[in-house]
Amino acid sequence: MTDLAKKRAAQLGQQLQADQLGAVRRQAEGWRNGLAGLTGLVGAVFVLKGRESVAGMPDVWRWTTAALLAAAFLLLLSGALKAVRAAHGQVGEHTWLSGDRLFAAVLDEVERTQDALASARRRSVTGLCAIVAALAVSWVVPVGADEGKKADEPAPGVPRVLVTTQKGTHCGRLVVGDGGGVTIERSKGPGKKDSGRGPGRLRIPAAEVISVTPVGRC
Amino acid sequence: MPAHDPTTFQETEVHPTAPFTVHRSDDGRWYTVTGDCPACHGRTVFRVAHGVLGPLKGRWRRRDAEPEPLTGAIPVYCQCGYPHPERPPESPDAGCGAFWDVPVPPATPPGGAP
Ligand SMILES: [Zn+2]
Ligand SMILES: [Zn+2]
Repeated sequence: MTDLAKKRAAQLGQQLQADQLGAVRRQAEGWRNGLAGLTGLVGAVFVLKGRESVAGMPDVWRWTTAALLAAAFLLLLSGALKAVRAAHGQVGEHTWLSGDRLFAAVLDEVERTQDALASARRRSVTGLCAIVAALAVSWVVPVGADEGKKADEPAPGVPRVLVTTQKGTHCGRLVVGDGGGVTIERSKGPGKKDSGRGPGRLRIPAAEVISVTPVGRC
Repeated sequence: MPAHDPTTFQETEVHPTAPFTVHRSDDGRWYTVTGDCPACHGRTVFRVAHGVLGPLKGRWRRRDAEPEPLTGAIPVYCQCGYPHPERPPESPDAGCGAFWDVPVPPATPPGGAP
């Protein structure tokens, strides 16, 4: 009984054996291209969709973003180098080109190539995660969160009025002013110039009003 | 050693009568099968390496770990190197076309087989 498939498989095995370094190099090349494409894609998203500047961020987040980007840069750089190394071999490696030594060296190189490729893959994925994390930070951290403490105070640019009455002064955002009186909305917290009660709308009859003066803040 | 017999190229499975030596390399990464072809009596050396396409090795198993010993049989085909009539030019063979199985001896320490 002749099982030719067995012989063909054995022949294929001998062929693979002779060409396995070429095979893993080609595989590494494909992987390198894929990883480079992925990195470019995520980098482009970061450039296009990331916040314009980190200047408005609180210090701690600014440093986090910087550290994430620096780590991502190092990881991606070393990952790219590893991938190139896997695809094209290390510079400066030497061996005796005698049959047996070469055979062993090829087996070694196949293993090193695959190790380098696995390492390149790990580094690239970690680096991409760092970029995405930096991107997420830049999206999530509110602009000027540092100024959050002052959020109760009037933001610059929103006009306030200081209403002087016979009984005292009231300060707040002007809601409506008509013949019957002046309505202001007072901000939360005790205003320095505000002699009134808590926050909320306050209607002051026109008869009581002595003057209405625009002010920058209360 | 019997003289080489320039048989007509024929891909048939044969059953060796004389024993073959199966030698595992020092680092355990390849086997060398040596013996005389049962069909043409040419001396043939067949090498089988541990290579790619295997199951993924764990990340923690470093390359210092030598591969699992081969079990079962190694299919070997004649690579006597002599010309055999009617061998098709496109054939990758370097022998008479015969092939056979060589059982792998039970695992010995690498390189320990005499
Ligand atoms: Zn022969
Ligand atoms: Zn033969």
